Amino acid sequence: MPPIIEVQGLTKEFRTFRRREGVLGALQNLFVREYLTVHAVDHVSFSIERGEMVGYIGANGAGKSTTIKVLTGILSPTGGRVISNGFVPYRERRHYTKHIGVVFGQRTQLWWDIAVIESFKLLKEIYEIPEPDFRKRLDVFSELLNLKEYLHTPVRKLSLGERMRCDLAASLLHNPPLLFLDEPTIGLDVVAKERIREFLKEINRTEGTTVLLTTHDLSDIEELSRRILIIDKGRILFDGDLEQMKNRLAQYNQVKFFLKDRTQIPRLAQIETDGIVCQRVDELTYLIRFDREHHSSAAVIRQIVNTLEVRDLLVEEEPIEEIVKRIYLKGEVA
Amino acid sequence: MKRHWRLVTRYFAQYAKVRLAYKADFIIAFFSSMAATVLGFGFALVLFTKIPRLQDWTFDEVMFLYGFSLIPLGFFNVVSWNLYDFSELYIIEGRFDRVLLRPVSTLFQVVFEKFRLESLQEVVTGALVVGICARRMRLEFGLGDLFWFVVTVACGAAIYMAVFLILTAVSFWFEDRVGIVPPVFNMLNFGRYPLTIYNVFIQFMLSWIIPFGFATFYPTTHFLGRSAFTLYFHLIPVVTAGFTVLAIVVWNRGVANYSSTGT
Repeated sequence: MPPIIEVQGLTKEFRTFRRREGVLGALQNLFVREYLTVHAVDHVSFSIERGEMVGYIGANGAGKSTTIKVLTGILSPTGGRVISNGFVPYRERRHYTKHIGVVFGQRTQLWWDIAVIESFKLLKEIYEIPEPDFRKRLDVFSELLNLKEYLHTPVRKLSLGERMRCDLAASLLHNPPLLFLDEPTIGLDVVAKERIREFLKEINRTEGTTVLLTTHDLSDIEELSRRILIIDKGRILFDGDLEQMKNRLAQYNQVKFFLKDRTQIPRLAQIETDGIVCQRVDELTYLIRFDREHHSSAAVIRQIVNTLEVRDLLVEEEPIEEIVKRIYLKGEVA
Repeated sequence: MKRHWRLVTRYFAQYAKVRLAYKADFIIAFFSSMAATVLGFGFALVLFTKIPRLQDWTFDEVMFLYGFSLIPLGFFNVVSWNLYDFSELYIIEGRFDRVLLRPVSTLFQVVFEKFRLESLQEVVTGALVVGICARRMRLEFGLGDLFWFVVTVACGAAIYMAVFLILTAVSFWFEDRVGIVPPVFNMLNFGRYPLTIYNVFIQFMLSWIIPFGFATFYPTTHFLGRSAFTLYFHLIPVVTAGFTVLAIVVWNRGVANYSSTGT
């Protein structure tokens, strides 16, 4: 089967003009404009297979939202080619929208003043969802997302987490094969995030829904998708498996250890050889970061337990936040 | 078509429910809308009892025109609410993205998502005034006249809609609509009085540039049996169709521009 989304050489430029200040400047603006071209997305190519869950990450202004807007048909690109579920989104927008679900974490797709269930019923008419399908999905989603208690509450009275769950349900009522999520967990607490992730996994498993999500929370990606796309300054920096990224790009591992008691503290200096440095976490907890190329975890651990009396010891990989931060800062994957 | 009709009724029912949920709010809105209509009409009434004739128009004829003008205006006001702060709500706040994500025409969604229910009182008031004036003048209203009455009211509302849609669509290009809406909105009042009292420039403008004359004055001349404007009367559907098409074209261009600039 061909990929559900194929993006080739996608480019989106925005032309903005420099606004001059003051009354005179405003007058000048009317007649002479200095244009600035911004490449929000610059020759981006990737493809997504049916049933995949892909995390799309990048710093603010990296081009994530622009990509999502082109893929959902809101924006038309300056150049390149996009085929999504057999459609060119920005050319066949109205047809295409029946085949996708979209959730923007920042703003709701529901009607602010009316009860959630009434919003759903309007969507039923808009998407021409047959009554039995509508009932069935409404039941399933109410169950999975625990919507029952506030189906009759107006959207504006819901908490952010509740609203997000309703938005998710709304985006899937017409059973689209493709779901786009733009920062779906933004501002949510741990429990709410967890519930949404579980729901997405369930829908992906049972319905085979393809999911593309942008996020700043990398734990979303660790929980949900094995594949990660990193974009920066409009260009794709990394496209691949999350594990693969860790293996390739993690530079250090860390060992955290807990001393048995204070008598051990003076002996810490003894293990600080060969470029190894202990960082103090608290009085009895210390952390050693070491380059994966120069030291093996086994050797470091051996040195620690041979020298000190420790109560406990943990080996950790470099957190993916750190890896990604390094990629953003460097602007490339080395 | 059937689906769209169902959608309109759904939207309307939902919206009515919300409005009526806040009864006090709705009652205040209704009475202030009513007060504005009554005051405007009262002013015209006082003014024209002092002036027995306006050119060759009698008091009853002027009042008939005034009443008629309220009917298409009322219908227009019911569905035009979203156009007033379109730029603010949809472009700047970004609601238009949501509109683009649904498999229904953008224009349809914007127009029918919000209704100004209280403006229906203008329709009722207008119809009452027209009825009273027609009785006083002993106008014969046949079935044919009734048919044309409905058609011209619909055309009038469509003309208002077309003009304001074009003005609203400007915000797809310019975030701030440089204040062209209020003056045009004031021109709505010009249509309440016989077009012939204005100078040639304004007459031309109200016929061919901002065709409010075709919404109020020309239909009225027909019902009052003023044959001088028969040609104009027959042009009503043509002008309406022309401006409606123009409005739709401008709107769609605007949407395309929005898609390419994302402003």
